[in-house]
Amino acid sequence: MEGGAPAGEQRDRETLGAVRSVVFKPSISLEEKRFPRVAGYDFNRGLDLLGLLDSMSSTGFQASNLGDAIEVVNQMIDWRLSHETPAEDCSEEERNPAYRESVGCKIFLGFTSNLVSSGIREIIRFLVQHQMVEVLVTTAGGIEEDLIKCLAPTYKGDFSLPGAYLRSKGLNRIGNLLVPNDNYCKFEDWIMPILDQMLLEQTTENTVWTPSKVIARLGKEINVESSYLYWAYKNGVSVYCPALTDGSLGDMLYCHSVRNPGLLVDIVQDIRAMNGEAIHVGPRKTGVIILGGGLPKHHICNANMFRNGADYAVYINTAQEFDGSDSGAQPDEAISWGKIKGSAKTIKISQFRNEKVVNKLQQWVWATDLKWL
Amino acid sequence: MSDEEHHFESKADAGASKTYPQQAGAIRKNGYIVIKGRPCKVVEVSISKTGKHGHAKCHFVAIDIFNAKKLEDIVPSSHNCDVPHVNRTDYQLIDISEDGFVSLLTDNGNTKDDLRLPTDESLLTQIKDGFAEGKDLVVTVMSAMGEEQICALKDIGPKS
Repeated sequence: MEGGAPAGEQRDRETLGAVRSVVFKPSISLEEKRFPRVAGYDFNRGLDLLGLLDSMSSTGFQASNLGDAIEVVNQMIDWRLSHETPAEDCSEEERNPAYRESVGCKIFLGFTSNLVSSGIREIIRFLVQHQMVEVLVTTAGGIEEDLIKCLAPTYKGDFSLPGAYLRSKGLNRIGNLLVPNDNYCKFEDWIMPILDQMLLEQTTENTVWTPSKVIARLGKEINVESSYLYWAYKNGVSVYCPALTDGSLGDMLYCHSVRNPGLLVDIVQDIRAMNGEAIHVGPRKTGVIILGGGLPKHHICNANMFRNGADYAVYINTAQEFDGSDSGAQPDEAISWGKIKGSAKTIKISQFRNEKVVNKLQQWVWATDLKWL
Repeated sequence: MSDEEHHFESKADAGASKTYPQQAGAIRKNGYIVIKGRPCKVVEVSISKTGKHGHAKCHFVAIDIFNAKKLEDIVPSSHNCDVPHVNRTDYQLIDISEDGFVSLLTDNGNTKDDLRLPTDESLLTQIKDGFAEGKDLVVTVMSAMGEEQICALKDIGPKS
């Protein structure tokens, strides 16, 4: 450019200096405790599950959320009344150190029915089998899918299998899983005599059925160790399902009521019991682990509201909060309702994936070759 | 859940069967079906294919042929239902007694006196009025599953 060279250089230096101070703004140093360093798992260490899970916290994004959730769940498992100072007005028994050592956190586990259709059912069964959770809340499908799997299996299919084609073959699709109609026929044949018997007990023995009592009975009747409901019955784990009619179970209740009417199922008694699960914990803490959204999520949180909030909360779901749904709400929203304590340890693990590209590809594959089915 | 439960109401009869079995899927509108031990005429049938609710099902809405009550049933379409034998016989009306029984002339010249007047208002009025006017009346008696009832009326007398 024109003009004196030294004046131009001076301007350049000033501009550079200004840019540097913006782009290369000196950073504060982060304290490691609050901001751990990012580091993933080193597979040179070999295949080590616990090591891999430990590394989640420092891996970032949802892996870190998973690591935090593991930490919260471990706290739920480890907490004892002996960790707290005794309340001033507590009883003699409550002051006893041995007693305090024996009192742990009460854990509520909620899950939607699609998880029971999937292999997560086996993990739920493990937790119930070993009494690691005390209260379960799920939807009707969460009950029937477990029972039906004892009668006939669910199969792995594909998200893009065409609906009309599947209907014509008597296959029902749950995501990328398939449940043949025949499975539901077997369920019908299995459950109808049980409903007859339950109606008989209602009329002759004055039994008052509630969803949780119906579920316990079904767990008793299925009598197979692969079923989580069997273990729930065996171990006295309560399973609540206020919307028991919203599934194949509801279809069975409907058909049964036409042929052999009169069976009553009392949901009022069950809401007493469910809220009581939270209210009557005494000095114990409560923790909630909720997989999925919808009814199980709200029902558990609402019950905990009656004790001014759960002490630990882990949510794992795919819902988002932008639509104001309860399903997508973060734990902090529940704190505003008193469903989770303000002081609680909470974490939400979000899962979200853009399916469009994947689906387009799969549809092309299926359009060209449907023969393999 | 079997439909055998409908068989328990066996009537003391002369030996002829009151009902016969038929596959639920074969029973059509305007056919007959036994629901909760009552003989009924089918007014509506809908079929839902095998699915989440289990086996394919026939949903029947039917009217009790004697007391006009609406009854419903849902039966797996492959199961058997009971279908009532419904017979209609004509008898000449001879007399109406004070306590509401009718006296009818049978084919072989005997009288049949065990039948009450029908409960249906319009039919009842027709019979009473017609008889009072001295008309020659023939009643149609519908019978099914050991129960009988007058269901129709004919004036066979000369046109006046």
